[in-house]
Amino acid sequence: MSKAKPSPLPPDTVIGGYRVVRKLSAGGFGVVYLGVDSEGQQFAIKEYLPSSLASRAAGELLPQVMPEKLSLYRLGLKSFFEEGRSLAQISHSSVVSVLNFFRENETVYMVMNYLEGGTLQDFIMTARDLKKPKVFRESTIRSLFDEILRGLRIVHQHKMLHLDIKPANIFITDDNRAVMIDFGAAREVLSKEGNFIRPMYTPGFAAPEMYRRDSSMGPWTDIYAIGACIYACMQGYPPNDAPQRLEKDRLSLALSRLRGVYSDNLIEVVEWCMSLDALVRPQSVFALQKELSRESARRYTKLSVSERVRLQFDNVVSDTKKTVRKVSIPGSRLK
Amino acid sequence: MKFSVFQLSRIGGRAMNEDRMGYCYTRESGLFVLADGMGGHPEGEVAAQIALDTISALYQKQAEPLVVDPAQFLADAVLAAHRRIVRYASQKGMLDTPRTTLVAAVVQGASVTWLHCGDSRLYLVRDGQLLLRTRDHSFLEQDRPGLSEIEPVNRNILFTCLGSNSRPTFDIAGPIALKQGDKLMLCSDGLWGSLDDAEIVRELSTESVSNSVPTLVDRALLVGGKHSDNVTVLAMDWESPDVFASTRSIAADSAMDGAFAPTLQADFFNSQADDLDEAMIERSIAEINAAIRRSAAKKSSAA
Repeated sequence: MSKAKPSPLPPDTVIGGYRVVRKLSAGGFGVVYLGVDSEGQQFAIKEYLPSSLASRAAGELLPQVMPEKLSLYRLGLKSFFEEGRSLAQISHSSVVSVLNFFRENETVYMVMNYLEGGTLQDFIMTARDLKKPKVFRESTIRSLFDEILRGLRIVHQHKMLHLDIKPANIFITDDNRAVMIDFGAAREVLSKEGNFIRPMYTPGFAAPEMYRRDSSMGPWTDIYAIGACIYACMQGYPPNDAPQRLEKDRLSLALSRLRGVYSDNLIEVVEWCMSLDALVRPQSVFALQKELSRESARRYTKLSVSERVRLQFDNVVSDTKKTVRKVSIPGSRLK
Repeated sequence: MKFSVFQLSRIGGRAMNEDRMGYCYTRESGLFVLADGMGGHPEGEVAAQIALDTISALYQKQAEPLVVDPAQFLADAVLAAHRRIVRYASQKGMLDTPRTTLVAAVVQGASVTWLHCGDSRLYLVRDGQLLLRTRDHSFLEQDRPGLSEIEPVNRNILFTCLGSNSRPTFDIAGPIALKQGDKLMLCSDGLWGSLDDAEIVRELSTESVSNSVPTLVDRALLVGGKHSDNVTVLAMDWESPDVFASTRSIAADSAMDGAFAPTLQADFFNSQADDLDEAMIERSIAEINAAIRRSAAKKSSAA
């Protein structure tokens, strides 16, 4: 397929009235730059340049699309537009906002507000390495997800699903806001009757219906991912992926390990969100918000002796697995 | 029943895309149809559309969730489509009738039964080999006794189609049992006219249909050049082994490999997956910027 990644635009290139400062990140879809406008304001500028379909030599401006990949390139462009369209309609502090969209260098650019901070994934990995029984405090988890759910509710109100919620797509800004980023998979699907889906998903965070090709997705699909994110905030690791769980579900067992550390209610919320049966999950963000904010006296149930024995046995079995998973967490969306 | 499907139609160098394609399915049965409206007669695209509409409507009525007899269903459906095209022409008082080729396949009970009329083809590829393909109803592909004596004749000419004055000739074959990893492809002559079977089989065998179909279509368009015919391909992987493969690249992801719905999606694909031309790109950008301005206005008025 592709030999090398397309070269990013060099610093000081001017595109659409913005001056490129540096590359921020690069993914399968293209490159994100830090750019400044004439007034010195900073922006994140996303360039459509799928590395498997287009190339760009160092120092060049125009990408070269492989002729036999032109159809895919155009289809990808369509989904880039979709992302812009989705984001343009939403204006909420917990959803990354798109500010401008323009065409240059024979490709397209999406200008978004520039966020300083780190992804939830970075925070989880840092916290995890402290090796404390709690990865995050329960109150932190509750307030973080309360904020995210407010944004997600707006997204769903616009008849869109995010479909790729995961810690790497939740940004925590330096001024302590949680912002959902990367709506590349977001689709306006709520209005159509499960019209079409795109099988892009991150193992561990994708609900079982995202793997199937016959089922309809809905708010409950994003809610599964929210449950998985909360799980990751508690355990420090993503949960098993849905196919694994369908084969042998160890979620309850894994969560029981957290009993006494986190409240029964929070553990139950995660289990509820991550029900394999979509109909059992909270059917709307609102339903989940209600449960998550219901903070009466937290109850902590300790494990019984028999449960502890079972856990220890399980530890022996799963230790090897864990080391393998540890390595594969960063950038868990395989490309 | 597990399969993944990909369809793509491109207009090539022609003024109009007269190819139509689509699929629909129930829990236990699937229908795949492709029709190539014929040039040289009026409104080929209408004939192709009528064929698709008729057959998919019949299918949706009869598949509950299985079609009782796929071969019989296909035979009835093709004749119903033919009659509707002829009726359309007579209602409009047309001097000549619109015409179309047709290839249709019903997959159920892990086997496939198909029908074809004209030169739109079905290919079945297994383990990197061409297991079978349909023989066009052209003088070139069918050695009909007696016909070869009428020389010289343009051997590419079809001797049957839907919509002509004579009852269509068609062939029904199958059922053939499908095996894991089999690729079933329906295509218009825009594809096989530019690429030989070996190349088609090789490409289908090496990648999933969501990758191989766009590659094949693009290659056919390249070979066809400025005057390329419409190129239309509809293909499926039977029980694709990588159903649970992790993620796809963003481009393949956007290729709508998972497009599945209990309706015929021909219109959806024809209107959207077709050429995203300059005007459409400009329009999309303008729309997005208008939406951004609207949201910003809403925000400032709310504040």
